[in-house]
Amino acid sequence: MMNRRDFLAKGSTAAGAGLVLAAPSILKAADGNNDKINVALIGMGKQGRVLFEAMSNIPGLHFQAVCDIWDYNLKGGAGKVRALQGAMPNTYTDIDDLLEKEKGLDVAVVATPDFWHSPHTVKCLEAGLDVYCEKMMSNTIEGARAIVRATEKSGKLCQIGHQRRSNPRYRFTLDHLINNNKVCGTIVNINGQWNRALKSSQDISYNKRLTIDSERLSKYGFKDMHQFMNWRFYRDLSGGPISDLGAHQIDVFGWFLNCKPKSVYASGGNDYFKTREHFDNVMAIFEYDAPQGPVRAFYQVLTTTSAGGGFYESFMGTDGTVNISEMASSSAIYRESTAPEWEDLVRRGYMRKKPAPPKPAASDGVASYESAAPEEYTIPGVLNKPPHQPHLENFFASVRGNAKLNCDARHAFESEAPIFWVNPSALKKEPIVFTPEQLQV
Amino acid sequence: MSEKNSTLGQVFATLLLRLWLGIRALQTGVEKFAGKVMSDQSVEVDGKAYDPDLTEVASTKAYALDNYSGVPAALKETFKGEPLMMNWALNIFDKVLGPALIILGITILLGVANRVSLLILGLIYVGLTWGLILIKQDSGVAWLGIHVVMVAMALNWANHNRLCILKKW
Repeated sequence: MMNRRDFLAKGSTAAGAGLVLAAPSILKAADGNNDKINVALIGMGKQGRVLFEAMSNIPGLHFQAVCDIWDYNLKGGAGKVRALQGAMPNTYTDIDDLLEKEKGLDVAVVATPDFWHSPHTVKCLEAGLDVYCEKMMSNTIEGARAIVRATEKSGKLCQIGHQRRSNPRYRFTLDHLINNNKVCGTIVNINGQWNRALKSSQDISYNKRLTIDSERLSKYGFKDMHQFMNWRFYRDLSGGPISDLGAHQIDVFGWFLNCKPKSVYASGGNDYFKTREHFDNVMAIFEYDAPQGPVRAFYQVLTTTSAGGGFYESFMGTDGTVNISEMASSSAIYRESTAPEWEDLVRRGYMRKKPAPPKPAASDGVASYESAAPEEYTIPGVLNKPPHQPHLENFFASVRGNAKLNCDARHAFESEAPIFWVNPSALKKEPIVFTPEQLQV
Repeated sequence: MSEKNSTLGQVFATLLLRLWLGIRALQTGVEKFAGKVMSDQSVEVDGKAYDPDLTEVASTKAYALDNYSGVPAALKETFKGEPLMMNWALNIFDKVLGPALIILGITILLGVANRVSLLILGLIYVGLTWGLILIKQDSGVAWLGIHVVMVAMALNWANHNRLCILKKW
């Protein structure tokens, strides 16, 4: 598979062979420059760099400008752009300055802290740019609503970064295993989780020499450098772990069921990190009236342990259970002993059968009370590129008019709206039965 | 001690140590250029390729200049929070580490200026150790300590060195 670097390198080889002099217009068409999309990178922190690495494999993108309030990120990000395309992008610490000065921009990729997602995305839409914005859309439901309104008013494209929606393994599982071949039978329960190790949940430290001056921090909504580095712990800046980690997976619940939940009941607490504003551990139960029948979905995000299988979503039905995750190794399909045979699906390549597990010892008294262990199968194939790349490819193909967004702002809002009510439910220790107003723009 | 006084055992011991240190440095340097080549064998469903992004095997290992990474990205992120770690020094270390290990591995294996090569290799291990002390990777510190001891042994036995291209230095 040819990546962007290979693509450019091969273009240069063609130029060296004399094609430039012979037929420059043909060459221009061949190297994709007629489809060139000028991109502004808004936010070049950790997630911004993840998106940039994924975009660097997509042909036809020109990274024209980079914006970040931290010089360390700004210089590092601009350096990566220069390494890729051979020229420094224009750099800015202020998005308004960027939007005022940069001409010819087509697209903005927003990867700033959550509380800036909505203001930045709205500004870019109003400036006439198509926008790819990281999830969550905002730390508040009002912020998310503002993105939907701005998108629809501007007529521009806005894709939200729920990247599983473009992952071919997820799409295959939904289209072919769950919908067409109904391997789950009737889905009755869903279980999802993201269990993250304590080590990965610590405060992020920083080099004191790289501290941003207090005036600039204050201008952009941070009280100090620690808050800037650890904005995910603060209620005014982020939705906390249920938003950071849970939003991806709770999005899959609604996407696969093709409906919104009717209620949520959550519990959470500062069980280990006593001084953080957000809960470190949250458990939530969503109830759905899905087209196929009622479904109860449990989700937990734990930041104090990695045990229990990491992160995955499990769709549990009367015939089988599909465990799916961005990690192929965490994915599996289990067939109930009473389900129709799946041999034909195996033969046609829809799934792979794993060897049968060992039978429990006959002398084991408890074993006689257990159901037979379900047969285990695997979802075929693995994604052969960075996990965000297909979602970005879908966005840029849509900008070119060759595709439809897999997660536009309105659909993303429908998915994210229930998540905004998890923390309130946990704080009040009460279930919330959704009213239409709570889930609408 | 002159070379003539070396016993066969001392010569072999020095040679073995040289080989170990040389191979260790060379291959570690080469591994800095290791990356993955993504598979293009699509999953087949009903006899047809399902999606070009969904392939049978995710990747295979391959080496290329483009893959180079001296200091792993995760470590670089960790160092970002260390007040004593100078960013410019980390950048230099990141760029130089892989090529330096390859060159030193080759010079040690071929016996080119072995004393100087070993000294530089030892200094690199000391530099790496300092970084790991900063981020409290005690097992890594101990591991590198063993390397430094081996380099010191090799320097101490340098008089027993044979099969060298350039004995000086």
